Amino acid sequence: MIALGALVTFLGFLISIFSLSLTTSPYGRLAIAIVGILVSLFGIIGILNRYYLKNPIWRR
Amino acid sequence: MKQSVILLTLLLCSSFTALPQGAASANAAAPAPTAITDTEVKNIAGPSADARAKGDPDGSLTGTVSDVSVADAKKGLTVSDIANQVGQNKIAVNFVWTLVTGFLVMFMQAGFAIVETGLCRAKNANHTMMMNFMVYGVGMLAYWLIGFAVQFGGYGANASLGGTGVLNKEFGITLFGKSFGLFGQGGFFLMQNHSYDVMVMVLFLFQMVFMDTALTIVTGSAAERWKYSAFIVSSFVMGAFTYPLFGNWAWGGGWLMNLGANFGLGHGYSDFAGSGVVHAVGGITALAVAFIVGPRIGKYTRSGRPVAMPGHDLLVVLTGCFILAFGWFGFNPGSTLGASGNGSLRIGSIAVNTMLAGMAGSFGALLYMWLRYGKPDASMTGNGLLAGLVAITAPSGFVNPVAAVIIGLVAGVLVCFSVEFVERVMKVDDPVGAISVHGTNGIWGVISVGLFADGKSNYGGSWNGVNGSVTGLFYGDPGQLAAQLIGVATLIGFVFTFSFVLNLAVDAVMGQRVSAKTELEGLDLPEMGALCYPEFEIRSGSSMEPAV
Repeated sequence: MIALGALVTFLGFLISIFSLSLTTSPYGRLAIAIVGILVSLFGIIGILNRYYLKNPIWRR
Repeated sequence: MKQSVILLTLLLCSSFTALPQGAASANAAAPAPTAITDTEVKNIAGPSADARAKGDPDGSLTGTVSDVSVADAKKGLTVSDIANQVGQNKIAVNFVWTLVTGFLVMFMQAGFAIVETGLCRAKNANHTMMMNFMVYGVGMLAYWLIGFAVQFGGYGANASLGGTGVLNKEFGITLFGKSFGLFGQGGFFLMQNHSYDVMVMVLFLFQMVFMDTALTIVTGSAAERWKYSAFIVSSFVMGAFTYPLFGNWAWGGGWLMNLGANFGLGHGYSDFAGSGVVHAVGGITALAVAFIVGPRIGKYTRSGRPVAMPGHDLLVVLTGCFILAFGWFGFNPGSTLGASGNGSLRIGSIAVNTMLAGMAGSFGALLYMWLRYGKPDASMTGNGLLAGLVAITAPSGFVNPVAAVIIGLVAGVLVCFSVEFVERVMKVDDPVGAISVHGTNGIWGVISVGLFADGKSNYGGSWNGVNGSVTGLFYGDPGQLAAQLIGVATLIGFVFTFSFVLNLAVDAVMGQRVSAKTELEGLDLPEMGALCYPEFEIRSGSSMEPAV
């Protein structure tokens, strides 16, 4: 789960990089970069954070 | 009537005849410039020996032609001597500016130290203070050995600091047909590759104190449960690799700053003084470490409700905020790397923008907390000031004062929302709010360049190799915002992952968190061997009772 979260987070970075080759439009690159940011945030908050909340210290 | 018409006509004719004369005199060819010769220069008289022997109470005899350095005493003063002195004076002014502002940034370490220590409990004060004290040494060592070369090894020469351009080794790859600079390879130990150079020394000092600011941010989020030995290793790794890598991409000749030159995206990723490079890198790494070390015992009830754990000394917290605000006058204006030439006279605008944003941030947080909770909260107001300062750091050199106030005000409110989100929704324990102040508002600062940069700045006619001035979306350039957002994606997607993996490795090797027994006792005695306040009995309030 940790590896998946890290990979999804990194994938968002790659998506934003590939905006440079997918289109030459600044608005297009802007939109793809936003998608990349959202994917990374999902990796951090949606996967990694949820993993750590499954067995938190306050329930041990 | 007839006489008036004649008089008026005469007046009009005289004015028309005056214009061509004026125009003619303007149009007359200007005399060709006469070259100044060495002979003429040699004959310029300085103050006489008799006059100087009487002292110089008004300063009119000091700083004259007699003080210009002469290369050959036999030849005497030459035009070449004067030209060299002009160049030397420009570089000397810029050296002094950069060094003195660097000294101010160094002093920010004291501000961070007492803000963090004041926001922590008394039983951890020694440990927290020692982390902030030694992060200076650990970071400097890592940066001197490895980090500076990684970040600036391919920097080249700098117009404000002069120099021979010895930092000329950048490793890159080719991607999408363009060169992607990844990291530098020159300047290890400030000796390798001829880096024992006066310009390099100035650059190192200034950049080192910026790097240390990023490292110290992490100590805040992991305070009260971070093993001291793990803090040292983690900080070393951050100073040697994490910070310099992103720093190379943004400032050292790497791919992010060249998004404009290579892909037509504005002026490439533009971060004047480091909202992204310093603060977001620090805040995002702080989040990664906070995930790994976990929340403090007692921070959350069994149902996951957060419990307030107030700091032990608000007085030093707010004093520390003032120290930081003072040091920020070095952080932002100093990033011109000079006070002479190449648009450096904008240092006044940058300093004012910095002040205004900090002020607006404190108001934003104060008003939000007052309206929402009925009281003006001291620690959040201090964090609001810091949030405004963090947010203005990237755009400070590119925006006008109104934009600075808007950016700061948004930052002050944003930090409050972010603290609540991190603590209540994500349930990540951050004793000092480092993730929200530096991470969230560092990112806001990066984005605000892409929105508010007004195209009025001029730092030598170009920025990041693209002619013209940095201009944001509101002033007509969407490409700049795209470049900034790619920078944000790099911070969140790459820097977080890189920091997270490195710190997982540290955790696997040596463990990052102290034992529960140590944490409950307080880190001062078990970890540091001495209490910060040995003459006072530390009282445990209900908020410090462990929930487990």
